[in-house]
Amino acid sequence: MPDYAYIGKSMPRVDSRAKSTGEALFTADLKLPRMLIGKILRSPHPHARILNIDASEALRIPGVKAVITGADTLGKKWGVFGYTQDQQFLPTDKVRFIGEEVAAVAAVNEDVALEAMGRIRVEYEVLEPVFDPMEAIAPGAPLLHDNFPQNINIHVPIHVGDVEEGFAKSYYIQEDTFTAAEDSYFQAEPYAVLARFDMNENLEIWMPNAGPHMKAKPLSNALGIPLNKVRVRKITIGGAFGGRSEISPADFICALLARKTRRPVKIVYTREENSISTRQGHALITTIKTGVNREGRVISRDVTCYMDGGGYSSTGPIATSVPFLCMEQAYKMEHVRYNGYRIYTNKPPRGMIRIHGRAFACGVDTQLDMIGEHLGIDPIRMRMINAREPGEYTNTGSYVASCAMQETIVKATERANWKEKYGKLPPFRGIGIGCNSVQTGFPMGIRGGSEAIIKFNEDGGATVISGVVDNGQGNDHMLVQIAAEELGIRPEDVQLVTADTEVTPSDPGAYSQVSTFIGGHAVKNAAAKVREQLFEVASELLEADPADLVARDRQIYVKGCPEAGIPLKKVIRKVLARGKAVSGEGDYWPKVDPKREWISNPHGQMCGAFSFGTTVAEVEVDPETGQVRVLEVTVAQDVGFALNPLVLEGQFQGSVAMGGQGGILTEGHTWDAGFTMNPTQLEYKVPLACDMPKINSIIVESNDPEGPYGAKESGMSIAMSAAQAYAAAISNAIGVYMTDLPITPDKILKAIQDKKRNEENPPDADN
Amino acid sequence: MNRLPLEIIINGEPYSLTVEPNRTLLEVLRDDLDLTGAKEGCGEGVCGSCTVLLDGNPVRSCLTLALEANGSHVTTVEGLADGGELDPLQQSFIDHGAVQCGFCTSGMLMTSKGLLLRKPHPEKKEIIAALSGHTCRCTGYTKIIEAVEAVVDGPKKER
Repeated sequence: MPDYAYIGKSMPRVDSRAKSTGEALFTADLKLPRMLIGKILRSPHPHARILNIDASEALRIPGVKAVITGADTLGKKWGVFGYTQDQQFLPTDKVRFIGEEVAAVAAVNEDVALEAMGRIRVEYEVLEPVFDPMEAIAPGAPLLHDNFPQNINIHVPIHVGDVEEGFAKSYYIQEDTFTAAEDSYFQAEPYAVLARFDMNENLEIWMPNAGPHMKAKPLSNALGIPLNKVRVRKITIGGAFGGRSEISPADFICALLARKTRRPVKIVYTREENSISTRQGHALITTIKTGVNREGRVISRDVTCYMDGGGYSSTGPIATSVPFLCMEQAYKMEHVRYNGYRIYTNKPPRGMIRIHGRAFACGVDTQLDMIGEHLGIDPIRMRMINAREPGEYTNTGSYVASCAMQETIVKATERANWKEKYGKLPPFRGIGIGCNSVQTGFPMGIRGGSEAIIKFNEDGGATVISGVVDNGQGNDHMLVQIAAEELGIRPEDVQLVTADTEVTPSDPGAYSQVSTFIGGHAVKNAAAKVREQLFEVASELLEADPADLVARDRQIYVKGCPEAGIPLKKVIRKVLARGKAVSGEGDYWPKVDPKREWISNPHGQMCGAFSFGTTVAEVEVDPETGQVRVLEVTVAQDVGFALNPLVLEGQFQGSVAMGGQGGILTEGHTWDAGFTMNPTQLEYKVPLACDMPKINSIIVESNDPEGPYGAKESGMSIAMSAAQAYAAAISNAIGVYMTDLPITPDKILKAIQDKKRNEENPPDADN
Repeated sequence: MNRLPLEIIINGEPYSLTVEPNRTLLEVLRDDLDLTGAKEGCGEGVCGSCTVLLDGNPVRSCLTLALEANGSHVTTVEGLADGGELDPLQQSFIDHGAVQCGFCTSGMLMTSKGLLLRKPHPEKKEIIAALSGHTCRCTGYTKIIEAVEAVVDGPKKER
């Protein structure tokens, strides 16, 4: 490993001090002079036509400054893709889920705004709703969108090889269906947005976001103003997990209220609003048919997945594809067919989530265990022989340059004492393994690359300008660490100007695990250019070849002679004295196939790199209550290269909490006629400190040839594999393969009882 | 609604306020006094992000009426540091990587502070029990627990 000053070292994050003193400001903390409070009136109906909205009474209340409805908008429909444009931020025709935005108020305070909301009269024609995706695609079901027959929002068809031929060649074939309820992000910070127009009619807007530039474009479209007049500002963000990636109707509504009142307007969501009116995770019904040879190697796999998409497209084509992609990256298959359907229902729209498609991922791994049991092959062997290896192509044609999947399996199972435990644990104790792979990036066209600008001041301090956003995962620190390393200065010498669309060049956002790989890479490239400017002059001062120079700890010196160095700030002044700038620009674009498209052409290089990870979980089930106690979890992830092990461990531990502990044991939404029954923090159970098991973290490094310093991603892969391992461990503990998520105590008790009944009275073999 | 007088000492500073009786302590801190370190995550006393110390004891400020704090000392996260000198808990949270998005951090710090004021040397299970009134969606809690433990054990047990 090269001798880095900061890269690869565990370092406390630069943003953690302000967050520990209360000085870090989140959107809801902001206050501007003459600021109004906005509130959004939401649909009480899952499916209804809006006939008339009468706001006259509301407008007569003193202190109410504006009411807006769909009639105040340009009526444009938003969609991430041209072919998914289906959502008006304030609908003019009909509402499609309980909680959809119908009108909004701006008033002098919250009490007045709430009173005004109660005085807006909305006349609806209630339409027949449909809540179940399988009912929604049946003939005669009510249509949510006229131009989407059978309520099929997205169909992703992939067929590589010939699955029928593959099944014909298979020694053993198994087919199972796996299901999961909707889950929620439950970011710590409920959604909030503050908007104002400045004296030049520029929109300034603050909100939690996973990419300021991804927010700016749809705002520019919907408001009918140029992109350079939309200034999404940097703000501290309280978590995203995939749920802050897109424009929110609240962003547009807040901007519209600000434009109409000519005053700043702030909207802060309640926890319930955050649950029902931002995004939820998809519910899934996944049928997986797998054919293997005698050794357990997968010959053919046919997967059909129905995803409950809710009322609108959101990131539909991506969401429909990613569960398949994760699986085809993680495991080899000779032949594969995938039919992914995203179905509209009258429920809140669904987006990408950190354990997106948990029924799919858990299904693939659970089925490997089922097949292994049939063939007498243990779970480790089943995974080792099917695991992705470096230098291979995925079925849809992505080259996998770096991959240490097998190493993660070996290291995680060794640390977890798998061999001593598997099959040897006492009754109702179980151990399970899950493996996953995640994309470092998606093909994002003109938004696919990042550009960074670095400028030096004469005192040796640098400013880094980058579109990368920090949602809480540590991206700000990552940029500082890279800049300090490359420029030879200290982290405290670096100031950031990030995630502000007025100043920062375009960036894909903290989306698809790409911030380090692309945004960090751009900063590295920009720093290299600035360093070149310094070395050109320093090489004269030191009478040395620029190639032999080193910049480190505010000095520039000839390799091996740090004692004969010159202060970096002196070199900066020398460059400036010669009438030259000390600043630079660098960019990075991932080497993806530009022709790859989610539906029309799902083939070609998907992204620059893939991460791989394994989780092993050991659990104990109480057969009387169905409660699961998790005893120990071991995670191993191929992160490429660990830039900051302290941050990575935090990502792994958080991933186990969200993916395994919450994602498998408790988290799921329940419904009554389109109404989310558990939208609040009290009812939706996220894990607590007392729930968490001991977690062993293992960092595996495959040094990706394209990644900055060899780095890939670390935020998602463990969340996925933890879910798979938890599901496998519970199945192992009770001797029943669990196929419906989350695996709650009632399901566990029923499985134990059914098993007991079947053992006492075996089903008649002739039936 | 009639406003009533509220005499309160916040982070050592006395305030004479008048507030409507239905206002929560959290609303008064955030909206009237611009002390926005305490956060509203759920508004129903579950997430713990609004936790402040009321006469040294952690309370949910979203469930505490401002007038209930009449005559009391309130400490918010803004009052935890002594001038520029961070509280050992704050420094430990930073050093142990216990802060990710930071939204839950002030509540976690205030509950930890309350615990250590009550019991300077709690056992690990007592730390976990105290923190279990808070939700954190980022960290999986491990590093937060480690950060509090390190303060209990003194500066020798650093990473």
